[in-house]
Amino acid sequence: MPKNILASLTFFIILSISIMSLKGQVVFAQASTPETSNAVPLTESSVDDEGGFDDEFEDEFAVAEQEVFDPLGGYNRVMTGFNDGFYIFVLDPVARGYRWVLPDTARRGVKNFFHNLFFPLRFVNNVLQLKAKNAGEEFLRFSINSTIGILGFWDPAKDLFGLEAHEEDFGQTLGYYGVGGGFHVVLPFLGPSNLRDMFSLYPDMQMDPVNYVEKRPYNFPKQEGEYLGVSRPTLQALEMKLFKTVNNESLRIGQYENLKKDAIELYPFLRDVYEQNRAKLIRE
Amino acid sequence: MQFTKKIIINMLLVTIFSLSFGTTFLFADEISEIREMTKEKVDHVISTLKDDSLSKAEKKEGILKTIDSLFDFSLMARLSLGKKHWTTLSTEGRAEFSELFVEKLKQSYLDKLDLYTDEEVVVDEAKLTKKNRVEVLTYLVSKDDKMEMTYKLYKTKKNVWMVYDVDVLGVSIVQTYRSQFSGILKKESLEELIERLRSSGELGS
Repeated sequence: MPKNILASLTFFIILSISIMSLKGQVVFAQASTPETSNAVPLTESSVDDEGGFDDEFEDEFAVAEQEVFDPLGGYNRVMTGFNDGFYIFVLDPVARGYRWVLPDTARRGVKNFFHNLFFPLRFVNNVLQLKAKNAGEEFLRFSINSTIGILGFWDPAKDLFGLEAHEEDFGQTLGYYGVGGGFHVVLPFLGPSNLRDMFSLYPDMQMDPVNYVEKRPYNFPKQEGEYLGVSRPTLQALEMKLFKTVNNESLRIGQYENLKKDAIELYPFLRDVYEQNRAKLIRE
Repeated sequence: MQFTKKIIINMLLVTIFSLSFGTTFLFADEISEIREMTKEKVDHVISTLKDDSLSKAEKKEGILKTIDSLFDFSLMARLSLGKKHWTTLSTEGRAEFSELFVEKLKQSYLDKLDLYTDEEVVVDEAKLTKKNRVEVLTYLVSKDDKMEMTYKLYKTKKNVWMVYDVDVLGVSIVQTYRSQFSGILKKESLEELIERLRSSGELGS
């Protein structure tokens, strides 16, 4: 009798192991042996090619039809129109002119330089999300690019050492700890955002070195005085931001127009794209 | 008696073992085939785009032929409209919607790739997500950017794997269209929506 129990126990253990190996198999495409061709086909899809409907697919996309809580919808629509106009009539032409003047390598260098300056933002948020490996890689990237990469104008960390940047901001950190996005807000000039990400702009800004330009008086000879009621340091910070924006835009001319082609109505489209993209960034 | 029991149990174990491993290998094998198939077709599209000896019309024709065998456009059209609205359409309405929408989808896909002709497409891993769904992860790589594009495939009744959705940077094309359509259809009729598609290019904001 105990022998019997032992046998059936082994049987069940092996059965469950084999089932687990079947279910939990993480299949990487490279690892395959074309040994078994006599096997059962995968379960057939119940999709009818001639216009029937599959409930499996229906569940997958049901999210898309949920009503979005959008108390600022009216304002958001107007602001989206404004931003769109600003992009098309101001930023894009300026960026195109800038692209025409400066060669590709120079613009890429400037982009790298600003990206490198934002190391504190990425580092801190990687740490806050307990992503030790990514934080370490960011640290290495900063060390390598600031030295061998000459102040970050080049990116030897990626080119020579294969270290990729790990973009993280405070909104993603909050999302990582389960803070929802809240309703959608379109910000002037900055574009789509939501409650969570909007409030995260403040801590993010504290990590932006451009804001500390004023604290280093040897950078610019004249630091005092006002211009149109705006203090000189603030103006310098703004100039730097503008420069950075135009430079980065010059490297992705045409992308916004391209994206917009999928829009039937611009505002709900951009809102959806933003929220889906943020959700993915937070998942990672 | 005891002996036969033992033999039976042993045989059962062996069968289960071989069965489970057999199926695992099958999964891996079929998935790598799907990955290769996707890679081949996407590579072909990119090489056609880059081929300067072809005229614009020739390029477009060549590419459309390839993507027609990769994408299940009519399923994409159905999914984008959603069951609720699809079922209210007449047969002619369905045909018209499909035709207009598929045209738009194709153009949108071509435009996306067109912007990246100087870039390289890297086909990364393929994963089984459900028993009849596979996702193939790809990257459009340029000098300083890496755009993630995931092709989602399912197995059709004819035992062919076809794409039913594409995620660009985590944004699902079908889901984006579907939420737009459902938003519009709360205010407008299906006829008006089809009219909008017909005169597409005109945008509201």
